[in-house]
Amino acid sequence: MKRSTVYWMIFVLAMLAAALPMSAVKFGQPAPDFTGTASNGKTYHLADYRGKIVVLEWHNNGCPYTRKHYTSGNMQKLQKQWTARGVIWFTVLSSAPGKQGYMNASDENGYIAKMGAAPTAALLDPTGAIGHSYTAKTTPQMIIIDPQGIVIYDGAIDNRPTEDVKDIPGATNYVNLALEQALAGKPVETAATRPYGCSVKYPGSWF
Amino acid sequence: MRCSTASVRFFLVLILGLILLPSARASAASIPHGTVDLIAENQWIAPGHQSDLGLHFQLEQGWHIYWVNPGDSGQPPRAEWHLPTGLTVGDIAWPAPQRLGTPTIVDFGYDDAVMLLVPMRASATLSANQPAQLRAELRVLVCREICISGKAQISLVLPVRSVPPTPDARTRDLFAAARNSLPRAAPADWKFSVSDAKEAFVLTANLGRKVPQATFFPLEESRIDNSAPQKFIPLATGFRLTLLKSDQLLTPIRRLKGVLELSTNQNYVIDAPVGNPSAARQKDGFRFLAK
Repeated sequence: MKRSTVYWMIFVLAMLAAALPMSAVKFGQPAPDFTGTASNGKTYHLADYRGKIVVLEWHNNGCPYTRKHYTSGNMQKLQKQWTARGVIWFTVLSSAPGKQGYMNASDENGYIAKMGAAPTAALLDPTGAIGHSYTAKTTPQMIIIDPQGIVIYDGAIDNRPTEDVKDIPGATNYVNLALEQALAGKPVETAATRPYGCSVKYPGSWF
Repeated sequence: MRCSTASVRFFLVLILGLILLPSARASAASIPHGTVDLIAENQWIAPGHQSDLGLHFQLEQGWHIYWVNPGDSGQPPRAEWHLPTGLTVGDIAWPAPQRLGTPTIVDFGYDDAVMLLVPMRASATLSANQPAQLRAELRVLVCREICISGKAQISLVLPVRSVPPTPDARTRDLFAAARNSLPRAAPADWKFSVSDAKEAFVLTANLGRKVPQATFFPLEESRIDNSAPQKFIPLATGFRLTLLKSDQLLTPIRRLKGVLELSTNQNYVIDAPVGNPSAARQKDGFRFLAK
């Protein structure tokens, strides 16, 4: 390859990189790295899970939409089903101290035990740093990261944006679809949806 | 204490009278941090006529409910109607919403009080022999910082009479205000166009005059980034508004639908064609690379 061609390619790639949006995480782009402390006391580093599929589930146990998927057992079922197939599942709690859904480690461990939840770990993110880096807007917002560290799904858990448990049977579960396709080495068909639910209770004042 | 038969009879008659009193205004049902009332614009229902019902929400300070497109979070209220044969209701007419939320999470909805209009059609064969019992099961999400989902049973009994209906003076102001807050069809000589600028949609409006401000509320979800500031550029005959695209928009769109707010109670429904729809932004990058 001619040297000028290489320079030209570097120039094109640099221009392309500059054109990419800097802010939000998006489908097809690298997942922001993070180090999170879990309720089990361990520290988890996203980059350690290259080679695995990672699910991020934004969580607030007081939110009616989160409760829909926990009182029904739907979320726990997904956690068990997919972690059994080698998927890493992080429940992320980005509620600020004093706000709905904020949990200290021992309370969260009690909640996990009581609900029979089975994530790989529940990451405590009271500063909202992980949440903001993914521009997570709602609970339960779901993000899926492929083995190369690329976001392959960002959005809702399913196609019924309600808080009603009766809407779970018959719903199209986008997380199941995306994980099935990703594990089969196929592209994810529905890669972005509106993440329904409650707003994430980040630090900072409301109106 | 002993009550005389006469006083017991008096109270029974009074209570019975209150129950049977035909009224265009039922008592409000409670929802989390507020009330909802089912009211009618007319004193009675006339077979063959269309009239409006109203879902009148009153909320405690700081609490809100949602527009048909709730924005980044939330959910609009939903009503399941139970009506006598011969009566049907249409879709809710939604007043223009407000932007609610934080700098990073923006919702569209209403605080304080709002009335949603519901058109009701009475068939020409509706029997005028008995009053009509209107009933709805309402589900509503009420939020301040936190969200509470609520259910309410609302009902209203209206007489049916075979003469053209007379407006109910008690609800007239509420219906007038509700109609005034609805977005209108944009005047025919206003022209809107949208260009696809990769990261954003640029809405150009030609209204034949200058306007000091404009806000766009998307009628469809996952079109624009709800929390992004909308850059307003005044033009001699209108304005240009830059609307950052939603992260969830991965495919091109042909039209952009929404409500344009020029000022309070000056809202217009627009449905503008998107010029030279290119692929969404990520795909643009890949296509460039492939060349």
